Amino acid sequence: MAKDRSQREDYTTPLRRLLVAVLCLCLVALFLVWRIDSPRVERFRAQLIDAVVPNMDWAMVPVTGTVNLFRDFQSYQRLADQNRELRSELRQMRAWKEAALQLEQENARLLDLNNVRLDPKLTFITGVVMADSGSPFRQSVILNVGARDGIQDGWATMDGIGLVGRISGTGSNTARVVLLTDAASAVPVTIQPSGQTALATGDNSAAPLLTFLENADLVRPGDRVVTSGDGDVFPAGLLVGQATLDRNGRMRVRLSADYERLEYLRVLRHHGTQVIRDPGGLVVPTPGTNTPRSRPENLGAEDIPPEAGNGAGNG
Amino acid sequence: MAEITSTKILLMRVSFAALAILVIFFHLLPLDTLARNWAPPDLLMLLAMAWTLRRPDYVPILLLAALLLMGDFLFHRPPGLLTLLVVLGCELLRTRAQTQHETTFVAEWLSVALVIMVVTILNRFALSIFAIPRAPVSLSVIQMFATIAAYPLVVLFSQGLLGVRRLSAAEAEVMGGRP
Repeated sequence: MAKDRSQREDYTTPLRRLLVAVLCLCLVALFLVWRIDSPRVERFRAQLIDAVVPNMDWAMVPVTGTVNLFRDFQSYQRLADQNRELRSELRQMRAWKEAALQLEQENARLLDLNNVRLDPKLTFITGVVMADSGSPFRQSVILNVGARDGIQDGWATMDGIGLVGRISGTGSNTARVVLLTDAASAVPVTIQPSGQTALATGDNSAAPLLTFLENADLVRPGDRVVTSGDGDVFPAGLLVGQATLDRNGRMRVRLSADYERLEYLRVLRHHGTQVIRDPGGLVVPTPGTNTPRSRPENLGAEDIPPEAGNGAGNG
Repeated sequence: MAEITSTKILLMRVSFAALAILVIFFHLLPLDTLARNWAPPDLLMLLAMAWTLRRPDYVPILLLAALLLMGDFLFHRPPGLLTLLVVLGCELLRTRAQTQHETTFVAEWLSVALVIMVVTILNRFALSIFAIPRAPVSLSVIQMFATIAAYPLVVLFSQGLLGVRRLSAAEAEVMGGRP
């Protein structure tokens, strides 16, 4: 070995060694800078992705389309089975649709009855998924909408049904969505009938864990999991999924969003929930009025006869 | 003669870069957005190692570092860490490659496997030291073994299709002792 080393000295010039050493130092420095001042490097990353990924888009779309076409071909082989399944499902769906329509009408009536004002700010922008994270250790996708469209970090992203993730990193034309399944994702949720709060923590598996549950006994598999709006990142009440029990007896969320095919995602505009800061003043009588108020003199005589006549007419 | 070889080297460098970009491109395709419990081999690392062992002059270190760094940035990994480890691993293999001109493929595979293991372990170690969230151990281990297992295929592809093979002694003589 020692002899080889001496022979090798002829090949590797000191200059090359220096180059390697400098390069390695630069890489170490980059890593340390990233660790210390993460936002700046992450901004650079967003800009890089913004520059690179849209350029690949012309090739990505047809290739993705072709691969999906071939996958569909595989499913054509089971066409007859699928058809039968779909028919039976459709029959069930008809019944559900009827129920849903009735419920929708009832809901609208009730909202009207209660004079509920729906949040007008909760509008959304729809983006198309351009690329995924490219690594099995990271669960994220890149959308084709970015700061140009007013996207901001932290906004919630949904597919048609359920929550998908959160915007993290925006370029001018692209934005990265960290999915709920990513190990870095933790979303405060409420579990519906019991009202227990928990965190839906991603762990690189298809179903995020429910952690920090106060009383796990109150939560049953099948309970609805919605965002709680704690921490002021997400609006409250977005559907996340259903609680399930995994093999090790831990509670997880089976996500409602269709993670098999994330194609069009809605980014919800959310400008933060308004906080009531004013503790409220003391309600005091204006000076001059005497408390308790004196009883009106002609109370019994006046109030009934004229109201009865007018009220019916205005109704 | 010298001109032809230098053109060839340039061409092969470009094709290495193109291959790496193709690998990155296919990784980025939004085909699999579901979290999986297995991991495919790290083809970028394999290509770098296979080519470095055969024709180090096709894989200049700056090009390699630039491509790996692009992968780091695009794949949302901690920038620089894996690049550093793979570059160091390739340097190690490069220095070893010159001593083991006549070794069998199995010995080469073993040394590559060793380097891949060390890279994986050091990567996880560094991530845990700097308190960066890590993927589950099983996923890293699966990727490590998949990468090791895929090495012969990458070698076959590089040697058979692209003609990246070791120089024989006579050819090395003609090249004028180019490392």
